[in-house]
Amino acid sequence: MAELVPALLRQELARLAEEDNRLDGRGRWEGRDVSLEVDCLYNAEGSAKVVIGGTVVYAGVKFELRTPWPDRPTQGSLMCGAELRPVAGRKYEPGPPSPESIELGRVVDRGIRESGCINMDSLCIVPGEKVWGIMIDIHVLSDQGNIFDACGLAAIAALRTATVPAERFDVGEDHRLEVNGTPIMASFTRVGGRYVLDASEQEELGGDERIHITLGDEGHLHSLQKGLKGVFTPAEFAEIFEVAQQRCVELRKLVAEKEGN
Amino acid sequence: MMGGYGDVQLLRDDGLRLDGRKIDEMRPVSIEAGVLPAADGSAMVTHGLNVAVAAVYGPMEAHPRKIQRQDRAVIDVRYNMAPFSTSDRIRPGFNRRSREISKVTAEALESVVLVERYPRSKIRVEIEILAAEAGTRCVGITAAAVALADAGIPMRDLIVGVASGKVEDTVVLDLDKAEDNYGQADLPVGILPNTGEIAFLQMDGDLSPDEFNLAMEYNFKAAKEIHEIMVDALRRRYEGGEA
Repeated sequence: MAELVPALLRQELARLAEEDNRLDGRGRWEGRDVSLEVDCLYNAEGSAKVVIGGTVVYAGVKFELRTPWPDRPTQGSLMCGAELRPVAGRKYEPGPPSPESIELGRVVDRGIRESGCINMDSLCIVPGEKVWGIMIDIHVLSDQGNIFDACGLAAIAALRTATVPAERFDVGEDHRLEVNGTPIMASFTRVGGRYVLDASEQEELGGDERIHITLGDEGHLHSLQKGLKGVFTPAEFAEIFEVAQQRCVELRKLVAEKEGN
Repeated sequence: MMGGYGDVQLLRDDGLRLDGRKIDEMRPVSIEAGVLPAADGSAMVTHGLNVAVAAVYGPMEAHPRKIQRQDRAVIDVRYNMAPFSTSDRIRPGFNRRSREISKVTAEALESVVLVERYPRSKIRVEIEILAAEAGTRCVGITAAAVALADAGIPMRDLIVGVASGKVEDTVVLDLDKAEDNYGQADLPVGILPNTGEIAFLQMDGDLSPDEFNLAMEYNFKAAKEIHEIMVDALRRRYEGGEA
């Protein structure tokens, strides 16, 4: 079925694109409703739930005490991973992490890491002996398109609201994790020959390559990724980059609002 | 007053439990059906601080073919704890505990779903524990039952996961984390609320026959309460009410 449907779907998506329309009637740069909830899970030191259309994603932050790398005795570490488990959709199978889930986790990881929002030196407890390791785990529960943006948003929101569990590890008092910045991802998919923002599951099924752009607070690029088969022109990138700037400002505002709670 | 294992006091001097509950009082439960749009049926159950989500896919073609049954559907259950669901992070992936729970949960669900209606097919049930505070297998069963009903899969009855146990030589309903860690027994069961049958049963620890009977009595009482919440969640979903 997965091979047959796209041929018909692709025709329909191409026809809609000519009318500058989408399957669900959205504008090209119009995202679906986004909802964000933070601090929603007991046991996670930071947590967030993101719903974008029918896509549902959770992220949880955990801390561990570890020995620093010998060449970086004062630096802690950050790791971000995503799990695309069979719960997320009919197409997902049980088994070891798929290339898709590894890509997803790594793209989110790079955006956060490269933005510099976590000062690795601030995670040092005893130089050369004890540092914090931060682990962000992203759990995709329902995939109805654009899980990348949902995962990116959940990860940074969980991180920004995380509490360092120092008391449980007997190394001081619990405190809010210091996070200097809110990197946000915006993803575009080629559908019917042109890029759209926030593709739905159907658009992804009948679409082509995707581009993920993660921007920091100043609008600087921190992570880029092109996925799937397809090519694009610099002019096309310039166009989506403009849209990404706006989109990231909007989502960053949403994170700030939830943090205020 | 006698101490539990490790001399941790689990009952207060006023006879209540550490979190203020009476010995036969369960933690608050709330249920929402249809929470995962990608699934054919789904449910989220919050039980105390536990959060479990279940998704149902199917009935669908069963493959590989060797898992097919000529006279019925097979139910493929995966119980999984999210890495951030516990105090110490869990490494992603299956372990012996989750495999065993998945197996006995599947067998419990096969006992209530009218599997003979769907020969040679498969029904996938995915149980994800997002937050764990003791009793997750029971919360998972309750979530799975609501998700199956939400998927429109015919069942003889719902199935309710509940547990009782023993702390400081006292039988208590619905162990919380401390009680589970330092208590003397745990008796999780899956109860069919309408027929009064039991489709899931495990136990560990030490219970006298009388204590077992009392624990079961508590379980049936709790199952009745949870059943009402399950039915209410499904009713809200299909009457187009709030949420």
